[in-house]
Amino acid sequence: MHLLAQDLVNGILAGGILAVVALGFSLVWGIMNIINLAHGAFVMLGAYTTYQLFTSFHVDPFVSLPISFVLLFVLGYLIQRLLMNWIARAPLLTTFLFTFGLSLLVVNIALIVWSGDTRGVTTAYSGANFTLGDVTVPWAKLYTLLAALAITGTMQLWLVRSKTGRAIRATSMDIGAAQLSGVRVTEIYAIVFGLGAGLAGVAGTLISLSYSLHPTMGDLFLIKAFVVCVLGGLGSVQGALIGGLVYGIVEAFATQLDFTIGTQHISGSGLQDAIALIVLLIVLIVRPRGIMGKATA
Amino acid sequence: MKLRPTAALGILALCATLAAPSVPVSAAGDTILFGSPVSLTGNLTKEGHLTQEGYELWKTYVNSHGGIKVGGKTYKVDIKYYDDESKNDTSAQLAERLIDQDHVNFLLGPYGSGTSFTVAQIAERKKMPMVEGNGAAEKIFNQGFRYTFGVLSPARRYLEGVLEMARAQKPAAQTVAITAASDAFSQEVAQGAAAWANAHGMKVVYNNKYPDTATDVSSIISALKQTNPDLILNAGHLQDALLVQKGLREQNVMARAYGYSVGPDTPDFANSLGKDANDVFGGAQWSDAVKYKGDPGFYHTAPEYAKAIMDTYHHRADYHNAESTAACLAFQYAIQRAGSLDPEKVRDALAKLDITTFYGIIKFDSRGLNLYKPMVVNQIQNGRLVTVWPTLTADGKPKYPAPPWGQR
Repeated sequence: MHLLAQDLVNGILAGGILAVVALGFSLVWGIMNIINLAHGAFVMLGAYTTYQLFTSFHVDPFVSLPISFVLLFVLGYLIQRLLMNWIARAPLLTTFLFTFGLSLLVVNIALIVWSGDTRGVTTAYSGANFTLGDVTVPWAKLYTLLAALAITGTMQLWLVRSKTGRAIRATSMDIGAAQLSGVRVTEIYAIVFGLGAGLAGVAGTLISLSYSLHPTMGDLFLIKAFVVCVLGGLGSVQGALIGGLVYGIVEAFATQLDFTIGTQHISGSGLQDAIALIVLLIVLIVRPRGIMGKATA
Repeated sequence: MKLRPTAALGILALCATLAAPSVPVSAAGDTILFGSPVSLTGNLTKEGHLTQEGYELWKTYVNSHGGIKVGGKTYKVDIKYYDDESKNDTSAQLAERLIDQDHVNFLLGPYGSGTSFTVAQIAERKKMPMVEGNGAAEKIFNQGFRYTFGVLSPARRYLEGVLEMARAQKPAAQTVAITAASDAFSQEVAQGAAAWANAHGMKVVYNNKYPDTATDVSSIISALKQTNPDLILNAGHLQDALLVQKGLREQNVMARAYGYSVGPDTPDFANSLGKDANDVFGGAQWSDAVKYKGDPGFYHTAPEYAKAIMDTYHHRADYHNAESTAACLAFQYAIQRAGSLDPEKVRDALAKLDITTFYGIIKFDSRGLNLYKPMVVNQIQNGRLVTVWPTLTADGKPKYPAPPWGQR
């Protein structure tokens, strides 16, 4: 019984990070209809920002959260403003290839700057933990989860309450109507892409606490972001959060599945990816727009 | 037009298989051209670069010492690399390109068992001799391939040394928990470790695997913790070794000893984990403490080799460096003995090879596998890598049992 409780905790802690990774990806996809394949590379840049600040200036990873956000926001904003606007109305494949190329570029620059070495951010509280009954909770991951919740909460509030947030939502609902009401769509797009990159940067910072850094680390998270985002529903803040948590928990429980068919021993933990994807498939069949997604035309 | 998720996933997969950046090198008439698809990006980047360093160090040595004599004529050597992005299929495609378009004379292996296996199939089909130093899965050598040779001790023996060491300490380790990545190499390491433990009266209390793309292994650690083992073993690669070690620390899992197939030997392990890396054991193909005296034609001893790596690449020589260089050495001696660049003759010379190098004995069984070189066990002690087993080559004593977390 206590193993199940521990798995639930493990799943929620892992899911919180995935939610933040997926959040920026989901916003850009949902609002701009661009599948940003460079999202993983942005996550990596966020992680390395934290690493660099931590090793060079002893800046605590949680303190570097806003710095990662701002740096990546500016980068994303400029990329959209200066480059992507040229192809904003181009067919989907064009933006797909553009972001893919961008990802290769960023990863290879990172390989030159930081080399292929694996690095880690090990703080004084890395590894520190407390027990709650029989369940062990690592502090760093708990902080990470709390940060993830705070970030998604802030995003949601901002999108609903602020003027820019409302303009963003209006643009995603109907570009024409938004333009008629005075929304500058190119500006909104640049902000959204910047937000996506900024949130990726934040995710990278959070990941750096539990996962080791190397220039290609983003790929693994890009694929998970993709699944989480489809699972939760496109362009929705709650969707990314729920999707992330569901994915994390399913993976955690899948680990303990262990069964034998005939003489063949099947270990659930070796299949956790497959099991998570099967869950995605079931959700897509039962509820094609994702758990929190809204039906669109 | 809204892009449907399923369609997007398809395009994503397509994009991922495209794009294989190349690192061009020219080939000339008096040059023996080797080719290698190697992991310069992807999840095995670090190991791939160490492999490339091992190859390059050999190339520099040979070229600065006149080259290789083949039947009266002296040749320089050159190596053409492609980045296989740590992907098995890409590696095979690039091997084909090296053979068909770049007309390389011989193949040096990629990094990893998965890639070595797919490239070995191409080498076989094209009758192209390949010596690899980075694919230890026996699966590669059980296919009846004639053209693939491996200088490594096989995967199943990676953790035998750690088991043997832990069993010889007081209090002896009696129960073992094993976690392993799902790739072929790691699975063979895990099976070998479990078989050795069972055959020597130790009890395997936990044995499970995780996908080699895992970004979180905390639930496996939770399940392992419940079995309360004396010895915790991990069969995997650097990335997951770090993930497992962090997980053990976070969940406060105490054992007498911790052993990894890959990880502790790479400086990145200690650099990333700091004090939490201390007292961990790692099985290694080689260490700069081994006491072989090599045949003439290259650095004779492990310390000489280690110094060359330090002078050139400014880090401590890693066994991935050494085994990669050893693969080149196998070619060097075989080509000299064959007295020809004819692939068939070089293949036969490789099959008959029996040399001693700074790395150990290189001699292949009928399958092309080097069974004649033992593994060593290293331990990280106060941030430094110390060879602790077998006692004959050791330059320090194992620290056992491990102190509690936070006191390492």
